[in-house]
Amino acid sequence: MASVFAGAPPNGAPGYSFAQTPTAAPAGIREHSFYPYTDNGGSTLGISGADFSILAGDTRSTSGYSINTRYAPKLFKIGGEGPESKGARIVLSVVGFAADGEALKERLDTIVKMYKYQHGKPMSVAACAQRLSHILYGKRFFPYYVTAILGGLDEEGKGALYSYDPVGSYEREQCRAAGAAASLIMPFLDNQVNFKNQYIPGSGEGHALQQRVPEPLPRKDVEELVKDAFTSAVERHIEVGDGLQMMIITKDGIEEIYEELKKD
Amino acid sequence: MGSPFSINGGACVAMVGKDCVAIACDLRLGMQALTVSNNFPKIFPYGDVYLGLTGLATDVSTVSDLFRYKVNMYRLREERPISPQTMANLVSSTLYERRFGPYFVSPVVAGINHTTGKPFICGFDSIGCIDFAKDFIVSGTASDQLFGTCEGLWEPDLAPEDLFETVSQALLNAVDRDALSGWGAHVYIIEKDKVTKRLLKGRQD
Repeated sequence: MASVFAGAPPNGAPGYSFAQTPTAAPAGIREHSFYPYTDNGGSTLGISGADFSILAGDTRSTSGYSINTRYAPKLFKIGGEGPESKGARIVLSVVGFAADGEALKERLDTIVKMYKYQHGKPMSVAACAQRLSHILYGKRFFPYYVTAILGGLDEEGKGALYSYDPVGSYEREQCRAAGAAASLIMPFLDNQVNFKNQYIPGSGEGHALQQRVPEPLPRKDVEELVKDAFTSAVERHIEVGDGLQMMIITKDGIEEIYEELKKD
Repeated sequence: MGSPFSINGGACVAMVGKDCVAIACDLRLGMQALTVSNNFPKIFPYGDVYLGLTGLATDVSTVSDLFRYKVNMYRLREERPISPQTMANLVSSTLYERRFGPYFVSPVVAGINHTTGKPFICGFDSIGCIDFAKDFIVSGTASDQLFGTCEGLWEPDLAPEDLFETVSQALLNAVDRDALSGWGAHVYIIEKDKVTKRLLKGRQD
């Protein structure tokens, strides 16, 4: 499958992560290969509100048709103290190649911590967002194979959400879905969060109707939308399932919610 | 060149409601990224049975004409209109006849059975394998997006007007996230003794 270990090592030979391991009698020209990326599936999503941001991701990790584990978090607290990440105010979600996601989280976490030690104040989300873009672009020719979403509160206390491509192109948005089921979730979010294709009845003649204006949704509604989006994705995408991890960033800190998803 | 299924683009969706069914399609016809026409419907009525066809446009035209012929011949021989279930089996066997050189289409059938009065929808792959669904069927280049919107918006026993809103929102929002589909839509709401056809404008890009 899409595994790194594509070539099975012949009879008890060492398990190199190369397509062809050395055989007993080298004959003629042989081509070796190594593919450094694996797609670990899964999906993430983020929505920002008036005074909060929500990031969510399923906890299934796959390679090909196999499930590696049913609990591999894709959400990470950034810039907190200790193993519990105490006092963190920024959350990073990564989906794609899990090993790169982990490495990226580790780098960003260190940078945000160093910033606090050197400047004596926590890093703003806007600054963190731009720094993340630079980290990703720094590996422009051997990218971190991940789609990242960064969430927190901006300097006015409003929910802030930034989404990225694997090489650092980024944008602040109201909502974004990423990963395997992004194509399923994103149009649903367009409709339910940004009220796309919704018009106010009787607000004009014929096609000159007025668009329903998007407004920040209350937290309870957003949580329900996130759950609906994921239960829908689980129904139709095999790489999504097992568990749903949500992190809600408010002025009081980061609240973490976990709930079960279907395991089939 | 890509898959024959995604050269021209297009999307189609069918849904079941309470004593009614809906079928809807977009209107785009393209040649890869270039839009050639914004008035290319993909739903074809055969009496009270409706057939949606997405995929390679030349096959959409060929297959729709072929079924017009076949359904007409059926009605003349049997002296009764074709039921959606019979239509489904006709589509399936016709596609399987071309097992090793298929028509590049993903058909959708929708209608209400006249004897039982029950709503019926189903979908097919290009060689005739039938997908009997109790809720909704999607097809075309926006099928991933349609799966997402339908799974999120659909609920059981929708009344005709609510079903219209649901199917329209599901289609419109799905095609807006697909570069190969869109440019307006046709929506049919089929009830026991009434069919309503509506033309939706949608985004013109």
